[in-house]
Formats: sequence, structure tokens, C-alpha cells
Amino acid sequence: MTMRPANLLPSLRPFLRRSATRRRALITPIASRNYATQAPGNPIYQIFNRGTKWQQKDRAAENVERSRKVDYLKDEVAMRLAERLLDINRHFNHVLDLGANSCNIARALTLPSPFPEMNAPALSTRLSQLTAVDSSHALLHRDEDLPFNREINLTRRVLDEETTLPFEDESFDAVLSSLSMHWINDLPSQLAQINRVLKQDAPFIAAMFGGDTLYELRTSLQLADQERRGGVSTHVSPLADVRDMGGLLQKAGFKMLTVDVDDIIVDYPDTFALMQDLQQMGESNAVLSREKGPIQRDVLLANEGIYRELHGNEDGSLPATFRLIYMIGWKEGPNQSDPLPRGSGEINIKDILGGGDIRYYV
Amino acid sequence: MPGRTKPIEKFAQAVAKCTVESSAYGKCIVADYHSVHKDKCLTEFMRLKDCYVVSRNS
Repeated sequence: MTMRPANLLPSLRPFLRRSATRRRALITPIASRNYATQAPGNPIYQIFNRGTKWQQKDRAAENVERSRKVDYLKDEVAMRLAERLLDINRHFNHVLDLGANSCNIARALTLPSPFPEMNAPALSTRLSQLTAVDSSHALLHRDEDLPFNREINLTRRVLDEETTLPFEDESFDAVLSSLSMHWINDLPSQLAQINRVLKQDAPFIAAMFGGDTLYELRTSLQLADQERRGGVSTHVSPLADVRDMGGLLQKAGFKMLTVDVDDIIVDYPDTFALMQDLQQMGESNAVLSREKGPIQRDVLLANEGIYRELHGNEDGSLPATFRLIYMIGWKEGPNQSDPLPRGSGEINIKDILGGGDIRYYV
Repeated sequence: MPGRTKPIEKFAQAVAKCTVESSAYGKCIVADYHSVHKDKCLTEFMRLKDCYVVSRNS
């Protein structure tokens, strides 16, 4: 009788409303707006297990005889890389070999010049000191006693090249790297570090596996996996593409970039020889998400037949493609030539080339 | 290590004696490799495996 709900409600409503607005004004900015935030720095993607890689390299190098036998690829690439040093006409005081494997670059530098008619001395005479860095002690020190060590001032240093490089800023006249950067997780940071330790106007010259390396093995293992087990597993590591490398180098601050590609095709008697050689090189799969343990026998058996049918040569051998990405980047320095600004050209290239109308072919 | 054949080498030697079966299996897969599914070439594979088992034990 005393309660009159019909009157009570309207009187309550403004009160409620006011309080709600006030509360919203006070609290909203803090409570109801959550933005996703990112931790400072670039996210680091872990693709490869560096520990596994180290173990593979160390184990491979323990069998010295076998390990030397499969150095054909690394020696060849180191030689091609060293040839690129020939083009740079200067003396290098201190050079860093990052990811040296078994010091293949040092060996290549001591070889006699590839142009005997020029009567040039070996490249090693143009270097005062070479520091070779690798994570595997066994592999790095494998060839310590060979004669080439006496022809070059070589210092070996065991450290995981993916961690922060313990060298001072601007301390090297050149940084070389042959066939090891394809196992680096954080390539942008690695390149930035290389740029840091280089002196001004000093080159970084590297070769790494890229893109379509071992595409034959990749495809045939995929088919074998699919048919035998009904799914695909990672057996061959993902690799950087040629197109990415230019961008990465540029991002790391390198100037005057050159990136080019070279295929080396090696013929093997069968897939087992190929896989054994890869293992002996210490280049087995080290992807984090890989299946642990050896590949199933059934899959290997299937793979042999598919590889031969799909890619085999007429003479019965099996080709394996190794695609190499070579790159040269220079650290910025004074007196370095820069490309001219866009649109600053004053000569019409049509006049030089002899004119003629431009025809469009559809 | 001299005098000792690695298991993978033994495996390779045994497989090398089954080229006919291996190539028949390969042909079956490659004939249409866009639509490979589990046990697509089961008969060919079992023939290959039988041959491998025989040559391994011989």
C-alpha cells in the first residue's frame, strides 16, 4: 500500500543513468580497451634447432676420412667465393670467416691463382689475418695439421655464430661466409651484426644454399610419404629465396648489393648415397618441427623408385641440384659511389642506342 | 670403419637388386602425381618390398 512502484521507477531512472555515465567516464579508458602489444624488438622465429645442427656437424667431423671425402661441395663453393675476392683490388688486414665449417675458405685462399698466365700469387698473400668461426669444434679443427695452415695466418675460434658476435665494432676489413648461413634462424639480426663488425666501406661476401636446393629429394620424399603414410613430413629444410636476400641485405644497411645464383648439379648412384653424403657433410635436416628419428624404411624404399622415375638421368644416375646464392654487400662509407637520384639522367638512351620507335608486342 | 658395412649400405645393396619392381612402383606414382593418396600403389609397393626382403636375406 505504501509502495508505489509506478512512481518509484521514474525517480530511480535518472539516478541510475547518471551514475552509469559517470562510471563509464571514469573507467572506460583503462578497463575496456585492451590493445594487443608486442614486446620490443623483432619477433624471433625459431626454425632450426641449433643444438641438433651442432651435434650433426660434430659427429660428422669425427669420422675424418669420410668427412673429408664429402667436402667436394664445400670446397667448390669456397673456391668460387674466393674468386670473388680477386675482383677487389686491396689488401685486407683482418678478415672474418663466419661459419667456417672445416676452414674451406682458408684452404681455397691458399690455392694457386686460377689464372696462371697472370702469374699472380695466391690470394692468401693479400690477407694479413683470417679468423675462422664455427660452432663445431671437431669440424673447425679437423684439418689443423694439413700443410695449408702454414700458408695463411689463421685463427680458429669456436662459438655459435648465431649468438651476438663477440667482436668490436668496425674491426674487420671483410667478412666471408660459405655454406653456413642457411642454418641461421634470425637472418636479419645476423646480417645487422655482420654490418656492425665491418669497417667502413668493407665488403661482406657470402654463399648459401637457397630456394630450390635439393628439390628432387624434396618432391620425391613428399610423394613417398604421401603414398606410404598418407601425409607429409618435413625432411628437407626450408631455405631463403633469392628474392628475399636483396631485401634482407638492404634492411641490414648494406650498400651496392650484388646477388646472383649458381646451380651445381651433382650426380649420385642412388638416393642412399645422396642422403649418406648429406649426413656426412653435417647437412642433415635440423628443423625444429621435424620428426625425430630416422626416416622409415618403407618411405626410403618408396623414395628410391620415385626419385629415379621422376628425376633420374638416362645413364641411371640421380641428379641433385644445389642452388647457391652468392651475395656481396658493402658497408656504407665515405667516398662510396651511390646510384644517382631517379630522374636525374640527362641523356636519352634512345639516342645512344640508335633510336627507332618502340614497338609494343601484344 | 673398414670391414663393417653400415646398415644403410646393406639396405642400399638389397634395394639395388630390385630395379624392375622399384621402377614399376615409381611409374605408378609418377603416372599421376597430383593425386597421390595413401596406398595408391599398394600392389606395386608390396611387390617391391617382397623383392627387397628376399634379396636382403639371400
